[in-house]
Amino acid sequence: MIFFNRCSTGSRSSATKGIAMHEFSICEGIVKAAVEEVEKMTPRPKALRLARVVVGRLHAIVPDNMEMAYEVLTRDTPIAGSKLELEFVPIAAKCKVCGWEGSIEPPVFLCGSCLSGDIEVVTGRELYLANLEVEVDGNE
Amino acid sequence: MATSNVRVYRDLMGENEKWAAQTREFLGAKKLTMLNLIGSPGSGKTTLLECLVQEAGDRVRFSVLEGDVETTHDAERIARLDIPVSQLLTNGACHLEAKLVHYALKDLATSEGSVVVVENVGNLVCPAEFDIGEHAKIAVLSVTEGEDKPLKYPLLFRECKAVVLSKTDLLPHLRFDIAQCRDYVRQVNASVPVFEVSAMSGAGVRELLNWVLSVRA
Repeated sequence: MIFFNRCSTGSRSSATKGIAMHEFSICEGIVKAAVEEVEKMTPRPKALRLARVVVGRLHAIVPDNMEMAYEVLTRDTPIAGSKLELEFVPIAAKCKVCGWEGSIEPPVFLCGSCLSGDIEVVTGRELYLANLEVEVDGNE
Repeated sequence: MATSNVRVYRDLMGENEKWAAQTREFLGAKKLTMLNLIGSPGSGKTTLLECLVQEAGDRVRFSVLEGDVETTHDAERIARLDIPVSQLLTNGACHLEAKLVHYALKDLATSEGSVVVVENVGNLVCPAEFDIGEHAKIAVLSVTEGEDKPLKYPLLFRECKAVVLSKTDLLPHLRFDIAQCRDYVRQVNASVPVFEVSAMSGAGVRELLNWVLSVRA
């Protein structure tokens, strides 16, 4: 007998059901976070203009896919019409052999000086919502 | 209308990480080891799994979570080995996320000290992005796919704790350069072990099993 679990699509809008890109999964988190943050603000802003997300280069995120996902996922939400801005962080590493520090250009993860592979990646894994640009009443 | 810029700093993998952390706790309490098998569709992940289970015999108990977009074909194959298995269907998504894996794992009839293998959806890109609480990711690359895949899909090869080069029995018919492929793996992840395996001849399966047992928590 085989048990099976099917991914619940209850939390997904019908517009995105079955769309197969990891950008959609990640973007669902962005939209949820942005809506929650906007709703927490007092006084409540009139609208969200821009959500700025910081993304480390280690994440294989394609900006066009992400922007399309954001446009689809924000429809019928309080932040519909807002834009997504991605700020990419390069991959930086430190060599454990010679002490070199610098940026790494994927796909090669070798020290920029001694070519050792024994390096520690120090930046490039970031993925966080950094800023929200909101419209507020000018008289306040 | 004036605009205001509000700093937030909110981690976006938080939800997935939360489920992955709960899975790690569950694995620790039940003394289970969990591996996340990632490779292209048709790279031989299920066949490799069948071989590993047969090679293991009484050395260790395996159970399996099979990730696919549709069908229970792979779980049916694994069920014939008489080990616990569940099929996870993603409804179109190209990867498994921690929450689905967590619930499926809790329902799986695992025994203490056993190894759970999660066969992810066939894909070299998206599954590498998502921590499902595993102890190690294993990248499966078949020799029919071309030796440059580690450079083309660096995230998976950077994140994995072992690389399996599968279908090596086909090498006489191909122009696949094993030494070049190993060098590409080294450029992305210098310390990762590479296993050359043929599920047809059984070559390399024991070495891979020994490594799997060394990962045990």
